[in-house]
Parts: sequence; C-alpha cells; structure tokens
Amino acid sequence: MLEISIFSILALFMIGGALAMILNKQTLFSAFGFLLAMIALGGLFALLDSRFLAISQIMVAVGGVVVLSMLTILTVNAKEEALPDEPNKFKWVFFTSLLVLPFTLLLYKVLSTLPDYFTKGDSIDSKLIGKLLFSEWVLPFEIVSILLLAAMLGAIIIARDKVVYKGDKS
Amino acid sequence: MTPNMFFLLVSILFSIGLVGIISRRNLFVIYMSIELMLSSVNLLLATLSKLLGDANGSVMALLLIAVIAAEAALFLAMITHLYRQSRTLDSDHYKKLSKVK
Repeated sequence: MLEISIFSILALFMIGGALAMILNKQTLFSAFGFLLAMIALGGLFALLDSRFLAISQIMVAVGGVVVLSMLTILTVNAKEEALPDEPNKFKWVFFTSLLVLPFTLLLYKVLSTLPDYFTKGDSIDSKLIGKLLFSEWVLPFEIVSILLLAAMLGAIIIARDKVVYKGDKS
Repeated sequence: MTPNMFFLLVSILFSIGLVGIISRRNLFVIYMSIELMLSSVNLLLATLSKLLGDANGSVMALLLIAVIAAEAALFLAMITHLYRQSRTLDSDHYKKLSKVK
C-alpha cells in the first residue's frame, strides 16, 4: 500500500513536470518542469530496487543534463521576441494529443501482455551491474566512452565562437 | 504495485514527449521532449529488468543514460550556435537547413 502511494506521488510529479514542460511559454519554466520529471524518475528507479540506476540518474541526468540545459537557457537569454510566436499553442497540443492517443493505447496494450507480477528477485545492486558491464557489455561500454569523447569534441567545435587572431601579420 | 502501472506511465510519458515534439516550435522544448522520450524508454528498461529478474536491462539503461548525456551536449551546442547566427529560437526559422542548394 505504501509503495502504491509513493508510486502515485512520483507518477503525479512526473506527468505534471512533463506537462509543465510542453505547455509553458517561458523556456526556463519548461526546464523546471523537466527537472521535476527527472527527479521523479530517479525516485521511480529507486522504487524498482535498482539503486545504482537511481543514483546515476540523479547524478547524470539531474546534476549534469538539466543543470547544463538551464545554464544554456540562461546564457542564451532569449528575449521575448526571440521566442516563437505560437498563438494556437493549446489547440495544437490538444489535437496532437488526440492524434497520439491511439498510439498510447496500442503501446500500453502491447506492454501489458507481459506478465503482471514482479519476480521476487533481489534488488539489482551495483556489484552485479559492474560484473555485467565489464564482462558481457564491455564492447558497448567502450563504444559509449568513445561516443562521449566525440560528443564533447563536437560540442566544443560547434559552439565555439570564431576566434580572430590579431597581431603579427604586419 | 504491479508492472502495468509502470507500463501505463511509460506510455503516457512517451506520448507527452511525442506531443511536445510535434506541437511546439521552441527549440529547447523540442530538445527536452526528446530527452523525455529517451527517459521513458529508460524507465521501461528498468521495469523489464525488475520484471524478469535480469540485470542486463539495468546495464542497458545505464548505457542509455550516457547516450542521453552525449545527446544533451551536442543538442545544446547546436542550439547555441543556431541562436548566435540568427537570434531566434523558432524551429520554423531553420527550414533552410533542409534545403539543398
């Protein structure tokens, strides 16, 4: 019973954050909704007994990704006229929701054919994950490290301002 | 607490992300909707991992978190670059990206 109420609160936070994210006009408020959703997702991971995943979600997604997005939003500092003019925003959201609703129901129907009870297994601890990560999943792990390096270099090259060298040309 | 509740939550979150991508024009909101869809897949992986008592799903979710971080770095750099070039966050303004000259 306690688990169900915790789940309900977290799900409420998550859906509320996601809705606030897609409905707000101000970008920073959208980022706050996103922050709420990501924190609630960390709580849901903890509820699913995967502690390592919960901690890495909080550390990477909340501490890294969301803070980076907020920092970018504040640095870009878009004025009111730089935001897109969306007069019929709620109409668009409503009709798109109607369009997406059959897909949602289909997805839920497909997923709910899986068994409807959890196995009574132990919690998935970091020891098990570490063993799997360095035995069966070692190639994807290394590929991810190269991907992160490439993303870092790409981000620096894309976002870099044009550097103008002044000086010894004369 | 049954898995069906988690599956319902995953479906709803994925659809909210899809609605955000289709109906909004702010580049930041589109980016955050993509992140939300990826996160809902992440939650699905964790749920399946718990449902089947198999830690492989958790490892996949962990790798997906790294992919999300890489995507965030690239997407934010792209938004900064595009905003610096033409001072707007309207995705309709960047139709020129699709034109082949």
